Amino acid sequence: MRFTILLLAITAALCFNVSGCRDPEVTTYRVAKETPPAASAAAKGPAAAGPATMANTPVPTADGESLTWTAPAHWQAKPATAMRKGSYAVPTDGGPPADLSITAFPGDVGGEPANINRWRGQIQLSPASDADLTTAITRFENSGLTFAVVDFENGQQRVLGAIIPFRGSTWFVKLTGPATELTKEKPAFLTFLKTVKPPSTP
Amino acid sequence: MNPAVRSVRDFFVSLGLTVVLLALSLILVFASTLAQVDLGIYAVQEEFYRSFIAIWHVGGIFIPLPGGYLVGGLLLINLLSAHIYRLKLEWRKAGIQLTHSGLIVLLLGELFTGLWQEDFQMTISEGDTKNYSESFRLYELAVIDTTDPKMDEVVAIPDSKLAGAALVQHPKMPFRVATKAYFPNTTLARRDAAALSPAAAAVPVATRGIGSSVAVTPLPLTYKMNEMNVPSAVVELIGDEGSLGSWLVSPHLGAPQTLSHAGRTWRLELRIARAYKPFSLQLLKVTHDVYVGTDLPKNFSSRIKLTTPDGHDDREVLIYMNNPLRYGGYTFFQYQMDSSRGQTGLQVVRNPSWLLPYIACIMMTFGLLLQFGLSLRAFIAKRRTTAKPAVV
Repeated sequence: MRFTILLLAITAALCFNVSGCRDPEVTTYRVAKETPPAASAAAKGPAAAGPATMANTPVPTADGESLTWTAPAHWQAKPATAMRKGSYAVPTDGGPPADLSITAFPGDVGGEPANINRWRGQIQLSPASDADLTTAITRFENSGLTFAVVDFENGQQRVLGAIIPFRGSTWFVKLTGPATELTKEKPAFLTFLKTVKPPSTP
Repeated sequence: MNPAVRSVRDFFVSLGLTVVLLALSLILVFASTLAQVDLGIYAVQEEFYRSFIAIWHVGGIFIPLPGGYLVGGLLLINLLSAHIYRLKLEWRKAGIQLTHSGLIVLLLGELFTGLWQEDFQMTISEGDTKNYSESFRLYELAVIDTTDPKMDEVVAIPDSKLAGAALVQHPKMPFRVATKAYFPNTTLARRDAAALSPAAAAVPVATRGIGSSVAVTPLPLTYKMNEMNVPSAVVELIGDEGSLGSWLVSPHLGAPQTLSHAGRTWRLELRIARAYKPFSLQLLKVTHDVYVGTDLPKNFSSRIKLTTPDGHDDREVLIYMNNPLRYGGYTFFQYQMDSSRGQTGLQVVRNPSWLLPYIACIMMTFGLLLQFGLSLRAFIAKRRTTAKPAVV
């Protein structure tokens, strides 16, 4: 009898207390002053929430010759990382800066549709069919390179992207940020793409 | 014994319950594995294993399942009851008793880990010193009294309290904090930049600070491993003589906001939740070796200087893969590395019950060895008595 009561008491205690124990409480403490950070890690966006994880780093990026480019003066260069060949913060009016990344990987990395749909997924858009993508891609050639340019938005976020095959690798240029700000930035992005050249091109 | 009580006892003691619970565990593992595709590992752990009831979304259908705590808790009770009522304390059963006790310790270990484990990270740049780690996904509203020129007095309000829309009051704050709106994942833009979306227009506008010129757009929660939800909240501060105004707080905002009240200066910051340590770590050097001629990582290591304010400890430590720093109840694992930026990411884990799984495994190993040993001895003894000497 006593044992049954004990069992029921344990069950009840578990049910009522387990979730309670895990709720964080208000805490107070005194710390030596620190300089307030200019921007917190999260403010720089999910990609900058921390350095590239080790799980990511073994992915081989394309080696060999690198494309060259000239970034607009108002873009702020960020240090390249193990994954990024180039990285820029594109200032916006008051909001968090838009993020421009230049990456390169060997092969075709799954092809254009898979990569474009991956970008669509990053701003919560459903995958587009191949037929839709054919009309969505703007193509042009410059300095001996072919550019496949896309532009998607979900009302708040926008992605301007370009896929550039180059000597057995595929280069990706992606600008992500607030939709309205990128509307203003698009001409600068397209001008920037025109500066992307193979290394030997003068 | 009262028949009703006996039936309850029989229910908990029965082997049938064990089988049903093990079957339910299989279903739970199957469902949670599939759910991980959409929810990611952390949400699955919380919703399926660290809960009493799990809801599995299949298409548009919601299937309720018993959660990990319910199945594990009942298994624990079942095992304890069986121990007391069915298994007699005798030398012959010592192996089974020990094995079952190991299983009980294992189940309790997982419960305590779920309750007490802290899993944070610490990102340090070369030359920088840090004495706090940051959560992977929790945020806090830090209300900081910055009046003292040397020290800051911090009241940290967890985001779960803000989300609950509770009125937060604390003796260290001369005002109360009331949540007017809280969104667990958001993006910000300038308010005058364009016509507001309906979702953004529905968010109350802050009356003080930079928030009055910022539009908040709520976003769906993300469960991806490489993305973080970034919350925003509009909080109203209420002093003795009424409202002091409302502020928009968000990690998206570049700089923290300040206010003066009752002769003191305060700073408001919604930031990643911090856990301060009674010691500090300075990153001296990061090393990222690759195999020659490839980009494949060979070794990540961080040379750290560990110091305590009282000067008791002041030493250099090398942290690398599979060689964490264990100090003050915390374990610092080499977790991330960005050598181009001279930055290291350490995973900081505190788990007071970390020894329990090891103890459980040792108990179960010895229990099984003992049980098999005893059975073997009995078997050999039986063979000896039954084997008749050959008659020549």
